[in-house]
Amino acid sequence: MWPFLLRRVGQALVTMFGVATLIFFIQRLTGDPTYLLVPETATREDIAALRHSLGFDRPLVVQYLEFLANLVRFDLGRSIVQNVPVVTIIASRLPYTLALAAGALVVACGLGIPIGILLAQFRDRPIAKVATGFVLAAQSMPTFWSGILLILVFAIALGWLPPSSSGDFSHLILPSVTLGLLSMATFARITRTSLLDELSKDYVRTARARGVRTSRLLWRHVARNAAIPVITVAALEISNLLAGAVIVETVFAWPGLGQVTVQSILARDFLIVQGVVLLGSFVTVALNLLADILYSVVDPRIRLEVAR
Amino acid sequence: MTDRFRYARLVALAFTLSASVALPAHASKDRFVIDLVNEPSSLDPQVQWNPDSYYVYRNIFDNLLTRDEKGEIAPQVAKSWKYLSDTQISFDLRDDIVFHDGRKMTADDVVFSIQRITDPKFGSPQLGQFDQIVKAEATSPTTVVLTTKSAYPALLAQLVKLSIVPKHVVDAVGKDAFNVNPVGSGPYQFDGWQRGVQVTLKRNDAYWGTKGPFPVAVFRAVPDSATRLANLQAGASDLGVTLDSDQAGQLKNAAKAKALTGLTERVAYLRLNTLKPPFDNVKVRQAAAHAIDKEGIVDGILGGYDKAVPEMATPAIFGWSDAIKAPAFDLDKAKALVAEMGPAGKAEIELATAPVFDQRVVQAVQQMLTDAGLNVKINMSDMASYLKRAQAGPDATSLLSYGRWSCACQDSDGVLFPLLHNSSAWSAYRNPKVDGLLEEARQTLDAKKRQDLYRQVHEIVAEEVPLIPLYQSAAIYGATKNLKWQPTANESMFLNRMSWTD
Repeated sequence: MWPFLLRRVGQALVTMFGVATLIFFIQRLTGDPTYLLVPETATREDIAALRHSLGFDRPLVVQYLEFLANLVRFDLGRSIVQNVPVVTIIASRLPYTLALAAGALVVACGLGIPIGILLAQFRDRPIAKVATGFVLAAQSMPTFWSGILLILVFAIALGWLPPSSSGDFSHLILPSVTLGLLSMATFARITRTSLLDELSKDYVRTARARGVRTSRLLWRHVARNAAIPVITVAALEISNLLAGAVIVETVFAWPGLGQVTVQSILARDFLIVQGVVLLGSFVTVALNLLADILYSVVDPRIRLEVAR
Repeated sequence: MTDRFRYARLVALAFTLSASVALPAHASKDRFVIDLVNEPSSLDPQVQWNPDSYYVYRNIFDNLLTRDEKGEIAPQVAKSWKYLSDTQISFDLRDDIVFHDGRKMTADDVVFSIQRITDPKFGSPQLGQFDQIVKAEATSPTTVVLTTKSAYPALLAQLVKLSIVPKHVVDAVGKDAFNVNPVGSGPYQFDGWQRGVQVTLKRNDAYWGTKGPFPVAVFRAVPDSATRLANLQAGASDLGVTLDSDQAGQLKNAAKAKALTGLTERVAYLRLNTLKPPFDNVKVRQAAAHAIDKEGIVDGILGGYDKAVPEMATPAIFGWSDAIKAPAFDLDKAKALVAEMGPAGKAEIELATAPVFDQRVVQAVQQMLTDAGLNVKINMSDMASYLKRAQAGPDATSLLSYGRWSCACQDSDGVLFPLLHNSSAWSAYRNPKVDGLLEEARQTLDAKKRQDLYRQVHEIVAEEVPLIPLYQSAAIYGATKNLKWQPTANESMFLNRMSWTD
């Protein structure tokens, strides 16, 4: 067990090191933020002086080693543009991103799964055609368009909900719906497919032959079996929601991590981008590591195979 | 509780209710909400340089000088000033300014502010605006004497942007802490910063000058202009920045909001690389100038809010001359000039631009030049790459580059010198006569003589076309119906210059 664990942790560390190196150098390929910081009237000498005081005129290797040395001490540094610790910025944005992803997931599952069941149960009836149309529309609308549309209807015409920004719970509704509608289609399709798959199986025919009512059959027997692929997709969809949030966050002025990342990339605020990328890869690597360890606990063959 | 008492309370309640109904809606409005594009980078006025930051901090701090509604340089912290010599100027300061922490502002604070921003070790991006100042000294608690390297006529225009920070606070807490909790002396004081969401300011009721009309002002970050527009239409914000002309048109029929526009000091222009073919030939440059229909761009695309200009200046800039005749829009003449070139005129010309600029204008320019027979290709890159390329020097920079110039000083020295003088990274033009005129204008205190020097530069630019000035840019804001405010050329947003209409 221990050699396996050590090997896995070692691999995870190498991966993190690779990500850190990659993000450091890729960002520096595009120059530095000095030009964006100065007024247009700044002379070459002014720009050189500022670059020097920011430390961007040092050899790249020196900057890289300094970055690694700080990283080992878990110091992500300070934002070049805002002059506050990167950790402060990430910590203030992360809750908003998580809230939006959770809200969107609730919308996606809450609408997608019932619609999927509806599509399966009434697959040849007109109501299924209507529902299919809705799913298709939701999937085809880009979020920057559907978001504005929802704002126009619910905030301006009806005045029920705030048009943008964060605040109380009501501010979360429109962005969650906008983001959730996209994933809703995925859930509806997966639910429909896996239900239809189950419905064509032998045990269903047997149950029908014994006279079990359709609704009981669906809920008691089929739904459980059909749930497995839906749960798998939900797990994958969460990462999609976190990634897809960038546009929705911009449209709704939602202060999430995606928004600050895009702004920081454009502003060449390297340390924030590094911080966000490292956080993201750390979570992914850590979860994978955890899953590997759990697998090996459950199934000893895995650790034997790897050890060999 | 007696019945009579209960009755009295009911009457009081009814009175309160009817009063609140009868009052205009804004009177009960104690939070004024402003939608910016991004959150401020910093509220330390001597650090960052961008509109989203200075919209906010210019309300927290007083500046040494300011500009009045007409755009003229006016007293603020300094009551008056006089030149002691060509390089020395003495400022007489107000003695009734108090910082938000209760300490009085003195000449030491002014000296400290100048020394801080001009210290190369401090690394202010604004250093270049103030580095002509070599010495600042307090000769009395209310007098400061500044010494410049040489005679420097743009000094007053630059000092409009010099915010005065309290020495005792900055010394005590340091740069990083001051950045997150700024203390100034302006009409509003810092109240709180919810990162990524909003900055809240509250009114400084002890302010020495005109007090702000709103008890609380909230600056939010709303990156998408369509959302800023929606917020205005829904009544969720009171003021929104940076709308385009189409959005201003939509506000014409809005129930709750209206558009406020103001011409700025910003000039949209094309820069031609005069050191490389085909633009090393003055006739091709003139052809390009004749090909562009500035009025068409302003009226047809920009909705008529902006104003075509014949020279690389605007009436809001010192050095503007009414007498300049630019090459007129004349497509036939442009075509003839290009045709004279023969096959050399068919070479591909790169037009560099960035996403922040109005792409409709860039595409129109491309089309107009193509109509004249030139082969123009747009190359869009992000702002950081665009700026780097634009300042790479004639060998590496693009043949054409679209931009909107603002020196934030309303003085031709900050426009023509960087764009034309051979020492500047922006310049793709070499003309010793222009260099001489620009150098002389930079060191001449006599306003009339300076004006004449810039007129000569404008005339050479019209003749030789190293630049094609396009139009004076308008800033379009959206505001609630009953806000009274005139946007200024320097794109400041002084809350205490706003009011409610009744």
